[in-house]
Amino acid sequence: MLAFLRIRSVALPAGNIRVLSSKLLSTKNGTDSIGSRSESTKAHYDIIIGGGGLVGTTLAAALSSNPTLADKKVLLLEGAPEFKGFDPAGPYQNRVSAINKNSIELFKSIDAWSHIEAARYKPVKQMQVWESNTDALIQFQHDNFASDVACIIENDLILDAVYAKVKDAPNVEIQNKARIQCVRLPKDSQSQLSELELQDGRTFSCDLLIGADGANSVVRKEMGVDVFSLNYERMGLVATLDLGDDACDNSVAWQRFLPTGPVALLPLTDRLSSLVWSTTNEQAKKLQCLPPNEFVDALNEAFCRQYPRVELADKAVQALNTFFGHNATQHQVQYPPKVCGVKEKSRATFPLGFLHASSYVCSGAALVGDAAHRIHPLAGQGVNLGFSDVRYLVECLAAGAYAGFKLGDKQHLIKYERKCLKKNVPIMLGVHGLHTLYSTDFSPVVLFRSLGLQLTQNLPPIKNLFMRGAMGQ
Amino acid sequence: MLRSSLFANGKLRQSLSSILATKAARKSSSTATPPPIDAGTQKEVRHHENHASEWWNQNGTMSALHALNEIRVPFIRDGMVARGTVKPGYVNTTRVLNGQRILEVGCGGGLLTEQLARLGAQVTGIDLGEKLIEAARTHLECSSPELTNNVAYIIEPVDQHAKTNCECYDAVIVSEVLEHVDDKVALLEASVRTLKPGGSIFITTLNKTLPMWFGGVILGEYVLSLAPKGTHHWDKMISPLDVQRILDTMNCQTILVNGSTYDFWSNTWRWINSTQMCYALHAVKQPLSDCN
Repeated sequence: MLAFLRIRSVALPAGNIRVLSSKLLSTKNGTDSIGSRSESTKAHYDIIIGGGGLVGTTLAAALSSNPTLADKKVLLLEGAPEFKGFDPAGPYQNRVSAINKNSIELFKSIDAWSHIEAARYKPVKQMQVWESNTDALIQFQHDNFASDVACIIENDLILDAVYAKVKDAPNVEIQNKARIQCVRLPKDSQSQLSELELQDGRTFSCDLLIGADGANSVVRKEMGVDVFSLNYERMGLVATLDLGDDACDNSVAWQRFLPTGPVALLPLTDRLSSLVWSTTNEQAKKLQCLPPNEFVDALNEAFCRQYPRVELADKAVQALNTFFGHNATQHQVQYPPKVCGVKEKSRATFPLGFLHASSYVCSGAALVGDAAHRIHPLAGQGVNLGFSDVRYLVECLAAGAYAGFKLGDKQHLIKYERKCLKKNVPIMLGVHGLHTLYSTDFSPVVLFRSLGLQLTQNLPPIKNLFMRGAMGQ
Repeated sequence: MLRSSLFANGKLRQSLSSILATKAARKSSSTATPPPIDAGTQKEVRHHENHASEWWNQNGTMSALHALNEIRVPFIRDGMVARGTVKPGYVNTTRVLNGQRILEVGCGGGLLTEQLARLGAQVTGIDLGEKLIEAARTHLECSSPELTNNVAYIIEPVDQHAKTNCECYDAVIVSEVLEHVDDKVALLEASVRTLKPGGSIFITTLNKTLPMWFGGVILGEYVLSLAPKGTHHWDKMISPLDVQRILDTMNCQTILVNGSTYDFWSNTWRWINSTQMCYALHAVKQPLSDCN
């Protein structure tokens, strides 16, 4: 590949004789690289992105569409075989994401949004969150439902949109089935490049290696940063659900906190919704194996079942609502549409955990997305945090390159880290806090959380603050 | 003499003329051998040479200087773009300073030099410290070999350099240097002489104010050890107004003075609305100047 590139780059401006000699030269180089794999024959790129998932591929697309970084050679490494593409007429996928405004802005800026818009997505007009031990509830929407709270988009569609951009980009190369075996970073000495070796033995070097390789990031391990991680001992169960005819205009996202974890319905179309059910490992396994009709019953029960109530908290919520001059009818829980069926083979489970890297950057490397942080899906923030990382990283790299910094210069990369920490840490703590608050039915905690939720519902400034945090405005 | 006169602004012009007179006298007496470097400058050079090995360590004693690149490179870049000498096609690309000839007076280990070269500029870095230039050359060879065609390091005083490079630079940079020299007028005069008419001179330095002296020198050097002890001296610091006056006498018009400050807790510099602490100044050599 490298040899081929050399032929092209030398041959175009040169005469015939030089073409011939350069060809000879390059084949010689080629045999060298196979034979010895010496330092000099390593393929060099300005930026290598390890991991071609949603965040990694979006990053590649965003890098390629930034005018300042247009002269940087980017390599995207993905362990999986080539992406098969997405069929907008096919059945709905079970892995979906709630994409907030900031992420949509990112897609628009890299010209990928039109692709998604032309396919299919479902805007969410309202979100209702309620719990099982009291009547406390909160609803998020914009005034008069003027704009969307979020959009539910299938992960594969997002990937398809950004992948198309990356494929068209002249300065980005994609290597599939490329698993990183080991990484060598320059750490704090400035002189060297970041180097990596794939499992098949190929080696690459780069000025900046970006770890977008998920929660078990190889890049992060080599960076040697401290990692704080928790296993929630919970599983997320996803499925695509059939709602039947009474769904009407299915544009509300529903989430109910049960003692075992939150269960959420995200609208996909007027008649289809996507399920994200976080629960204990045993229950998740059990639910996954249930016959479809029993699974649907269990799900409907989860949304409607009356759990033992905490009297004191109930009364306090009522008193609070009276204080704010609302009567009970205004605050009645709306119930989600009844689920009629579950799509065959759409059920899948994944483990839930919390992870945060103490540092996102070092000389010659940076982390984005799940490699740096992983959170509970209850607020649908995980992938949005990853996309805002992408945005900040590209901004930071462009500003750095325009100020003459090396791409891997920690001095400048640290700005990306600072900006990300400022945004990520409050959201991560918030989401983790919610998970902790709602995974108990201990009365004082129930009282506290119900009052907190109800206060938030009744005090628009606080509610708007949360909305801004979650939806990105 | 200069230093006392800088306190009293009224006497400045008088002292300027006397300095220029003594300089002219010295020039005529020593044309063959380079003018001897005075003891004060030698002391400063030696002080900085002691840190030559630390120069490129981002976490060492020079960390604040590394961090300064965050604001001084954009200041210089945008200043040059604003002058209209940069081809529109280069703006917003990493070759923004392509073809621009820049002289950096007092380049030290080359922190700023390399970064400007990475934007495509042809940069000449001059310094009096042999060890510093050596450190700069070593770093260029080992860490940024791709820039070797864009950078030249020379051990030479600026007035010497000006003799052979009259009016040949698009920009001259005197960054964090002015506070280390006694004869600021001579340095600036020689720097301006190397500048093409219409070229820009960029200066960054500390202001001569009590907050700066207390925050930057006492706290910074003796309490927090942000910079090596003895790096800065009150009597060598100079206010932006005085720099502006000196430049005025050399037919250079100051078009921008930005105040900046350093946050030691985060090792970052930022622009502020006051020039009480540090400042960056951009002046333009007026086309009518004659080179003597």
